[in-house]
Amino acid sequence: MNEVIENREEEKIKKKIDFKIVTFSLGGKEYAIDIMKVKEILKENRFTMVPNTLPFVKGVYNLRGEIIPIIDLREMFMITVEEDAEKEKDILILRLPELVLGVVVDAIDKVVGIAKEDIQPPHPLFGDVNVKYISGVVEVEGKLYIILDVDRIFGEEEVLSASYGKKKEEITERVERVTEVAKPAKQDEELDFSFIKDTLIALKSFYITEVNYEWARRRYREWSDLRREASEPVQLESVKDAEEFLKPFFSPYTSKLWGDDYHNNLLALLPDEYSGVIQVWDIGCGKGYEAYSIACILREKYGKNVIKVWANDSDLLNISMAPNLVLSQVEIPQYFIKNNFVEKYENDYRFKREIKDLIVFEYHDITHLNEYPEMDLIVARDLISFLPPEEQKRMIAEFSDSLKSQGYLMLGENEVPIGSEWKRVSEGNVVLYRKE
Amino acid sequence: MRVEYINPFVEAAFNILKEVLGTELTRGELYLKSTSQPVLGVTAIIGLTGDVEGRVLFDMDEKTALAIASAMNGEELKKLDELAKATITELANMITAQAVTKLSEIGFKFDITPPAIFTGEKMEVSDAAVEALIVPIEMPLGKVEINVAVREKN
Repeated sequence: MNEVIENREEEKIKKKIDFKIVTFSLGGKEYAIDIMKVKEILKENRFTMVPNTLPFVKGVYNLRGEIIPIIDLREMFMITVEEDAEKEKDILILRLPELVLGVVVDAIDKVVGIAKEDIQPPHPLFGDVNVKYISGVVEVEGKLYIILDVDRIFGEEEVLSASYGKKKEEITERVERVTEVAKPAKQDEELDFSFIKDTLIALKSFYITEVNYEWARRRYREWSDLRREASEPVQLESVKDAEEFLKPFFSPYTSKLWGDDYHNNLLALLPDEYSGVIQVWDIGCGKGYEAYSIACILREKYGKNVIKVWANDSDLLNISMAPNLVLSQVEIPQYFIKNNFVEKYENDYRFKREIKDLIVFEYHDITHLNEYPEMDLIVARDLISFLPPEEQKRMIAEFSDSLKSQGYLMLGENEVPIGSEWKRVSEGNVVLYRKE
Repeated sequence: MRVEYINPFVEAAFNILKEVLGTELTRGELYLKSTSQPVLGVTAIIGLTGDVEGRVLFDMDEKTALAIASAMNGEELKKLDELAKATITELANMITAQAVTKLSEIGFKFDITPPAIFTGEKMEVSDAAVEALIVPIEMPLGKVEINVAVREKN
């Protein structure tokens, strides 16, 4: 009722009203949205949480049969929120050309009518929100309201389109862009990070994307602390620096036979039985340690099944050594000897014929055409991070296509797959993603 | 391409060329290629069947083909006539046959189809994104590229 009365008052004062805005507060500041974009207003606290989404996505809500995403604008603009989680939240339901969604704000205030000529262009330093997303500023009764351009915030890059095709990285970058004005101190850090990102591409062809973003961010913080302590430059100035930076990225037992812990954890995650041939695709197998480890684990667990491990690498020198890999006793975990998978060869050891016959080592570049049977397990540790972003996306889609349903994907310790079809399962230091 | 297949082809090419031509040769870096590629002018092709499916291409320009054919026949050939073509075809056959023999010694059963030869200008091979191993061989007579595409029968 108040709103209506106030509206009338507004109308009396201002003769000309071009459109109306809904005002609300966010982190103590006043904002507004064009009322034509607002479908309705809601107080609610019960949302269905959706796992694995961005932090500002609160979940989905059933609005009389229509499922809509709920976004917390405060989180999106990185305004700290301190409030009772149980409290009902003020929500604006927005109707945009392509989607309907709800946004959580601190408190919805009122509806006011304004004239077009009263809207002033935004000042570059205005508010917590990047100028790009502000359509103007208007003064009403001595208060300044920042009018948000919701079409640009949510529409432009289809943040929430059902396919969720847009990448987290882009969105994160955008959120960072949004907060640039507000947090000048953070700017240097962002710049440093983006330089490191570029140098890693140039020096090691390592691409930071959503596949490894969390690791990269964590490593960057750790790295910049370490380097500052040692009074050394944060930036990577040589291949050696880049290698040092990437050192902790690599998964356990890279270029080694898998140890007993890793082996036991993987055993625990694999299904109790398979019917028919077990097909495995091991990509980037190098000299073959990984492929042999997998072959032995499967041979031990699935004695009756036919096992086929397709092991590729695009490094000719490494993979040429794989079929006849010779091991010294110290590099063989007890388990391989105990199960009789290796045999004495002069002073050293090598794998028995029956294990070798399970593996096909191929000199192959996976960015070319991959013609393989449907797989039960794909192992691609620390591999896709070294492909350009488009290739990364394409490869993960290809993994998904080549896996049987309920098949497993094993990425590097610090990598996560893109897409919603993956279910994370883990045991100790082994993480697999099951295709659902 | 299965690692075990690579060496037999490289070695066979090296041995045969050295034997029949009696010249120095150097092997370029091996690499993989999956795009359609221009053909230099004279190309012999041999198909592979058996445990696998695939083919081998021997690609060179006309000048090199004539020089090789001349050297193998012990006489100067002026143009790419039937004799010259038959000589190149035979060379391709010898190399592939030796590679297949080496492969069968280590337990892989391949059969080969009779060779064919293509000549002409501005030719291109495009076999739908098949990944091929390229073995470039440099000789004083010219350059020969051996292009091997083999895949396992699933």
